[in-house]
Amino acid sequence: MNKSKHPGQAKEKAMQVVFAACACIAIIAVLLICIFLFANGLPGMAKIGFGKFLSGTIWRPANNLYGILPMIVASIEVTIGALIIGIVIGVLTAVFLAFFCPEPLYKVIKPGINLLAGIPSVVYGFFGLQVIVPMIRNSAGGAGLSMLAACIILGIMILPTIITMSETALRAVPTSYYEGALGLGSTHERSVFRVVVPAAKSGIFAGIILGVGRAIGETMAVIMIAGNQAVMPHSLFAGVRTMTANIVLEMGYATDLHRQALIATAVVLFVFILIINICFSILKNKGDKQ
Amino acid sequence: MKKKILMVLAAFVAAVTFAGCGSSGGGTINVVSREDGSGTRGAFIELTGVQEEKNGQKVDKTTDKATISNSTEVVMSTVKGDTNAIGYVSLGSLSKDVKAVKVEGVAPSVKTVTDGSYKIQRPFNIMTKGEASGVAQDFINYIMSSDGQNVIEKNGYVKVSTNGAYSGTKPSGKITVGGSSSVTPVMEKLKEAYEKVNPNATIEVQESDSTTGVSNAAKGTLDIGMASRDLQGSETSEGLKVTKIAKDGIAVIVNKDNSVDNLTLKQIKNIYTGKTTSWSDVK
Amino acid sequence: MKYNEKNSKEQLHGKGEAAALKAIVWIAGIATMAVLIFLILYILINGLPHIKPSLFSIHYNSQNVSLFPAMINTLTMVGLSILFAGPIGIFSAVYLAEYAKRGSKFVAFIRLTSETLTGIPSIIFGIFGMLMFVDACHMGYSMLAGALTLALMILPVIMRATEEALHAVPDSYREGSFGLGAGKLRTIFKIVLPAAAPGILAGVILGIGRVVGETAALIYTAGTVAQIPKNVMGSGRTLAVHMYSLWTEGMNVDQSYATAVILLVVVIVLNFISDAIAKRVNKVNE
Repeated sequence: MNKSKHPGQAKEKAMQVVFAACACIAIIAVLLICIFLFANGLPGMAKIGFGKFLSGTIWRPANNLYGILPMIVASIEVTIGALIIGIVIGVLTAVFLAFFCPEPLYKVIKPGINLLAGIPSVVYGFFGLQVIVPMIRNSAGGAGLSMLAACIILGIMILPTIITMSETALRAVPTSYYEGALGLGSTHERSVFRVVVPAAKSGIFAGIILGVGRAIGETMAVIMIAGNQAVMPHSLFAGVRTMTANIVLEMGYATDLHRQALIATAVVLFVFILIINICFSILKNKGDKQ
Repeated sequence: MKKKILMVLAAFVAAVTFAGCGSSGGGTINVVSREDGSGTRGAFIELTGVQEEKNGQKVDKTTDKATISNSTEVVMSTVKGDTNAIGYVSLGSLSKDVKAVKVEGVAPSVKTVTDGSYKIQRPFNIMTKGEASGVAQDFINYIMSSDGQNVIEKNGYVKVSTNGAYSGTKPSGKITVGGSSSVTPVMEKLKEAYEKVNPNATIEVQESDSTTGVSNAAKGTLDIGMASRDLQGSETSEGLKVTKIAKDGIAVIVNKDNSVDNLTLKQIKNIYTGKTTSWSDVK
Repeated sequence: MKYNEKNSKEQLHGKGEAAALKAIVWIAGIATMAVLIFLILYILINGLPHIKPSLFSIHYNSQNVSLFPAMINTLTMVGLSILFAGPIGIFSAVYLAEYAKRGSKFVAFIRLTSETLTGIPSIIFGIFGMLMFVDACHMGYSMLAGALTLALMILPVIMRATEEALHAVPDSYREGSFGLGAGKLRTIFKIVLPAAAPGILAGVILGIGRVVGETAALIYTAGTVAQIPKNVMGSGRTLAVHMYSLWTEGMNVDQSYATAVILLVVVIVLNFISDAIAKRVNKVNE
């Protein structure tokens, strides 16, 4: 009995260590990403000067001018634009799916939204360039490759994230809330909007923050439709260059300081993402406690 | 909640209409350029004088209003769909959907590039670290032979060598060729033709860009590097042996409905530096 | 609008408001549907006419613009990245669900990092993969470097799905197994994991979906060679990268759309499978 138990116990212990080690890999991965990005990006940033790099408005690598403020502003503005579209349509669609959609229609729409999430971002870029951009060009003039085009496409791209998260949050609200409101004489619509939606607030916000992350980090679609001018965005119809686009446009050519400056751009983007993630987990914890 | 959403929505619509009125003034030239560092852009700005020399430093004066793209296709489809756009692409990728303007009265074609009368042209270069050997040297011999040069001409580029037919030793081995995305399409054709006459060899073509091609050839990561421009600055001192395999014209393209047929180098420069902003100024 | 308004006014107001709200919600739903239909039609109309047998030739050359090598590369990439991320993701989840004390700091920290991983955009993964695997580890542009990068990207997806699936396995299963004298390890491998298999599989399929659609992270790690590499140290492009490269060159845009159709079909099939699995899971749980 003892003999057979010992190797078994050793195995149990060994496997527990293996499981724990695997669990640590996520931590190691995040650490490695931080180390590699910062180690390669910060020296370049220091050489350019942190202030000059972050607040400079001229990006001309050939003349050693590296200011990424226009890109930071562009990334933020494009994300806000995408959110306006994504939130309005996304949250309302989630409400629609959860409380208004007839069952047969739901069976079609739900897989459709999952499909929307699975379409590669390059395809959104094609679509934007051939459909959205000409629409903007014809109705508003200009080149059409613009911030607005980027906002619209990104707004569409974050829809599945926002819809799915919001729908889950809405469905998680106890039915007693809704029934209570109905019992007090409210209409179906009013109960949903006044009672259920506010109760699902934190889940909906979590979805929106995830959407922010996706919009600010999107690359391949944006690069095709945003025009990529490295200047301060001044109009919805002017082209802008986001941080992600800046990296991809020039990474192939960059050497020495230019390359470090691009990696530093990635570092700035990464810091943005970390901040967004922290907001997300704080909100989520709040939601869980409720 | 709903009111807030409605207000944001209204503000958004208002912004759209307002900005829309601001920027629609027919005939404003929409300049489309390639990204910084692209071989096509490098050659274009040098030949048209968009790049100026200032205190020994080369300054790219391309207007910051120019739409930038890293893709020939985005340039072409923008010009195809926008009556006010102007762009430039390699002669080999020119399609019938857009109009190539004459430069100084000369239309871009294989003939005008060959005799030098079309001004905006650039070399396609390949380079090896020191003297090439084995498959790499044999492949270069093939490219420079009449067989290889015919492949180049058939694809819309201009041949540069008058060597005789290929008579190689057919060595075996594998080499990697990489660099300029402008040279890549014709290099793929050359590779296919070469592998037919020398089945012993395997050639891998990596597409990236001129600068990477040169630096990786110097590092020895690539057996042969490709660049759609001449070597510049520190690149010349890396001990690279450069062979010019073809010439390519850069076609200046406008929309088919654009009535402009001819532009001078000076006009092109003014358009790309942002001095000329309206089509009525060049008509 | 305030609650102290008179009741009759409220009701009148309520009717109009109800109709308006209903209309807005319907419009949003229809808009989402319209976008989806438009997008799919756009891909199909541009791509379907260009799907020809020559697109599926064994070897790529500039004449046939075959997507077959890219297809094989996609399969290899999926296989490799699941090979790395699968076991690690599942084992981590086993640790989190079966061994770790619930609510411990360590677990919270792992959750936080895995959520962080989920949120990192693919371009950052691409740059990281280039700096670490391609440069620092001297792998060069290779399938292996690409697969390792993507493995990190899909790790949290698999972890999360597995953890949820493990939590859904009723405790009675474990107690039963312990009661019969099985050790913890045996219980996990013989009882708990098989019971959680469909949920885990759904996570793996989600991961596959991400690998299939990925471009930005692969350009800087796996390179863009349009052939099937001889081994995992060679460079090769997947379908999504193939589509992007063809488009960028501007000469084979039609084939690029055709590739988009193939990708769309792959995504639909993957979604269908994961839906089917999810339905089975729900039935079992009921």
